[in-house]
Amino acid sequence: MAAPPVSIKLRCASWQQLQAIYKRDLARGAIFLKSAKPPPIGTPVRIDLTLPTDSMIVLNGYIGEHVPEGGLGGRGPGVDVKLAAIPQSAMWLIETALASAQRGATPGANQQSVSQAIRAPSSDPAPVDGAVEDGSDVADAENELLAALAAEHDSLRKLNPFQLLGVGYEATDNDVRAAFGELTKRYHPDRFARYASNELKSHAAEIFILIRDAYRRIGDDKSRAQAREGLGPRKGPPGPPPGGRASTNPGAVQTPPVGVPAVTQAIPKIPPRTPTPPVGVPVTGPTAAVPRAQTPSPAAPVRITATGEDDKTDYSAAESLLDQGKYEEALAVFKIYARKNPTDRTARAGMELAEGMKALAQRDRLEAAQRFEVVLEIDPSNERAARELAEMRRLATNERKGLLSRLLGKKE
Amino acid sequence: MSRIIGIDLGTTNSCVSVLDEKGTPRVLGTPEGERTVPSVVAFTPTGEVVVGVPARRQAVTNAAGTIYGAKRLIGRKVNADDVSWFARSAPFRIVAAANGDAWVKIRDGAKSPQEIASHVLRRMRAVAEQALGEPVTRAVVTVPAYFDDVQRQATRDAGTIAGLDVMRILNEPTAAALAYGAHRVKAGRRVIAVFDLGGGTFDISIMAVEGGIFEVLATGGDTALGGEDWDRRMVERMADEVFDQHRVDLTSSPLALGRLKEAAENAKKILSGATDATIQLPFLAQDQNGGPINFDRRITRTEIEGLTRDLVERLEQPCRRALDDAGVTPADIEEVLLVGGMTRWPAVQTMVEKIFGKKPSKGANPDEIVALGAAAYAGILGGDTDDATLLDVTPHDIGIKVGDSQFSVIIARNSMLPVRVRKLFATTQADQKFVSIELYQGESEDVTKNRKLGQIVLDKLPPGPPGSIKVELSLTLDVESILSVTARELKTGMKAGVTIRASGGLSQREIVEIIARRRAEEQSPGAPPPDDDGGGGVARVKTTEMPPLDPDEVLGKK
Repeated sequence: MAAPPVSIKLRCASWQQLQAIYKRDLARGAIFLKSAKPPPIGTPVRIDLTLPTDSMIVLNGYIGEHVPEGGLGGRGPGVDVKLAAIPQSAMWLIETALASAQRGATPGANQQSVSQAIRAPSSDPAPVDGAVEDGSDVADAENELLAALAAEHDSLRKLNPFQLLGVGYEATDNDVRAAFGELTKRYHPDRFARYASNELKSHAAEIFILIRDAYRRIGDDKSRAQAREGLGPRKGPPGPPPGGRASTNPGAVQTPPVGVPAVTQAIPKIPPRTPTPPVGVPVTGPTAAVPRAQTPSPAAPVRITATGEDDKTDYSAAESLLDQGKYEEALAVFKIYARKNPTDRTARAGMELAEGMKALAQRDRLEAAQRFEVVLEIDPSNERAARELAEMRRLATNERKGLLSRLLGKKE
Repeated sequence: MSRIIGIDLGTTNSCVSVLDEKGTPRVLGTPEGERTVPSVVAFTPTGEVVVGVPARRQAVTNAAGTIYGAKRLIGRKVNADDVSWFARSAPFRIVAAANGDAWVKIRDGAKSPQEIASHVLRRMRAVAEQALGEPVTRAVVTVPAYFDDVQRQATRDAGTIAGLDVMRILNEPTAAALAYGAHRVKAGRRVIAVFDLGGGTFDISIMAVEGGIFEVLATGGDTALGGEDWDRRMVERMADEVFDQHRVDLTSSPLALGRLKEAAENAKKILSGATDATIQLPFLAQDQNGGPINFDRRITRTEIEGLTRDLVERLEQPCRRALDDAGVTPADIEEVLLVGGMTRWPAVQTMVEKIFGKKPSKGANPDEIVALGAAAYAGILGGDTDDATLLDVTPHDIGIKVGDSQFSVIIARNSMLPVRVRKLFATTQADQKFVSIELYQGESEDVTKNRKLGQIVLDKLPPGPPGSIKVELSLTLDVESILSVTARELKTGMKAGVTIRASGGLSQREIVEIIARRRAEEQSPGAPPPDDDGGGGVARVKTTEMPPLDPDEVLGKK
């Protein structure tokens, strides 16, 4: 591809625009750009997409197709840019932003179109001005934050202290403190003192109380041991009592980590995962163990939740499939177990987990989040689901924080 | 939005600070170049109110109308031990208000310490407005960590009267740690102690600092111990000597006492560095023959140390208890930070070294660091800075009265804020109609020795044998130390709830009246700008007023 790369700046001034771009383009891994004089196919394209929050996302791709006049549902002439994998964090950002915007969205909003233009590489890449003023003001931003905090409060409430802080069952004092510190910076009521809404402040305070209580409950070795005991045998959704698995052993057994990469890029279609905090592994067989992806700590938090002589089911195969990114295969394995023993919660949680991971890989964060929540309902000790959720929340709040400080910063 | 200032309202001196454009807190000086303002308010015979250095200057001729140490009285009852001690040595008269609060007699009327403190706050606000060239309406005001809710609320009321919206009442040692630690970010967790001995109060806080998070592990202190106690000891000794020599009782002469006090304070400052000093007070009083008493005396550091040994010893116990509460040993403390002018006194430093086993650091200016921290915190609240987060604690136990006069702690002191604690109680009698829950704050097991915060009544309980009716009590203390209480009967789900904001002693009406009077007075020329409408402040009062505790009202809230 000899053609020099093209650089384009796109600005979404409103959520509606962003939604339009997302639905029509990003969701299919491509983006259409208007162009009367399209550069040759294969030309690399870099798009700096500025969101209504002023966050910028860089999309890389190449021109995959020239669209003739009236082509692609009347959108032509132009080019269709095939995008390389969009970083998880970027997609998550867009989707969270959209999800919260949708609450106030009006039908037909996506008819608003973005003025997109592309020029041949010879000329300077001119910034595309797609900015349209819309009514998103500070009050809206506060409402958005309020809704998000309320939802967050609701989902955090269901978690045990380990899940809430996003740490493993074998976490050290330092791990717990660090996690608490992170969350404190985000949720401490002082962070919200600048907002007018008392309701917003009280939600933040409620969330912080959950965090602080979790920290108090698992802040040191002794309390952690107690808290682990307290989790006791897993409680699942109402249903038949778990057959042979009723006597699950709540005592955690530590297993030395084994060098299997938790994150894989073996499957090309899966976008590279953003560096997530250590993926704790819900291990249900006595043998499997997976290292924490990021933490060099020798004591990887591996929790064996189901051991015992009578336990013949070995999930390590499925687990390692998950680790390898073979979600479909893992799902199949879990399904087999579940069919064999319908009361097997681990298998049911595994199925949901595999579905969730699959959704995550396909960039469907909302679906993934729902799946992970189901996993936790079935199996509250499932570390991987807890971690994935924690990581998703982390990304989401970081972005929201940026959003609000910018909006309010402008006003002041 | 106007900028939020940080005010250190001290017993002897006050200081104001703000975040500059670079996000660094800096002290705002007076046009005369002073960086602190004496917390002295004078009511002159001509009806003027003078604050700061001019007030102190005219003190000798107007001792009875020159009020200092209002912070010692704010939110206090006149019969408290330390208040009566203070009353004995103060050259002005301390009287009891209708509700038993300590007020100050000024000529033909009495004024609340809130109102006196508000004059100081207004002065600090004016200093800031002059230095910044813009109006200021919002402030963070610091108080000793060991202040209880009543004292805090009274301080807040003082701010309201001064036309300030007090965004937050911040603990002095915490403020100091924030100012001190913010730019000394070192990797890892460090446990530090902030030892704050000011003019009138003593605070000790044990804090952990890690990655921009300032966590108060424990706090303790003595709200009635400070530099002025040293002064008073010296004054008492000198007055005794005069009595022995001349049979003249100086304590009946406010003028002479004022002069002695000032001289003692100066001598103490000199003796922080030198080992001896001379106090010369010509014509201090008249002897029995009408002749002049010329006071001239050499005083040594050792002598003062002898006079104040017990004061220094009183510093130890709160420190030990705070260490205990924090679950650390002196060896865990990496640094001891000194705050407050009285920490310059060598014997105090020796005591610190004895308790913590290490030399305290003297890097910071103990007179300014609290105000700097208040400004830094104002920056956090205003969203100007994201570098630091403060986790503070509640300094006193909060609980309820059980039995006749026992105190059952529900929220333990040094609990990280915000906090919620739920407890289940059962009825004690058959077909009990109602439960009345009285809330107290303090450390004593005898509830009558603690401060009552309020009361909640849950009535129309369903009938049942003793113990069968269960009431869940839930106490929530928010980040501003505002206590909300709910009581819920489990069977019917019936609820009663109140938000208790301790009353600082002044009612909303009284506060509004003072503000109105102030405004009327200010119609005279030379008064501060009229933008002082106290608007935000008044609105605030409406929410801070303690709700009526009439059970019907309370239950009406559902």
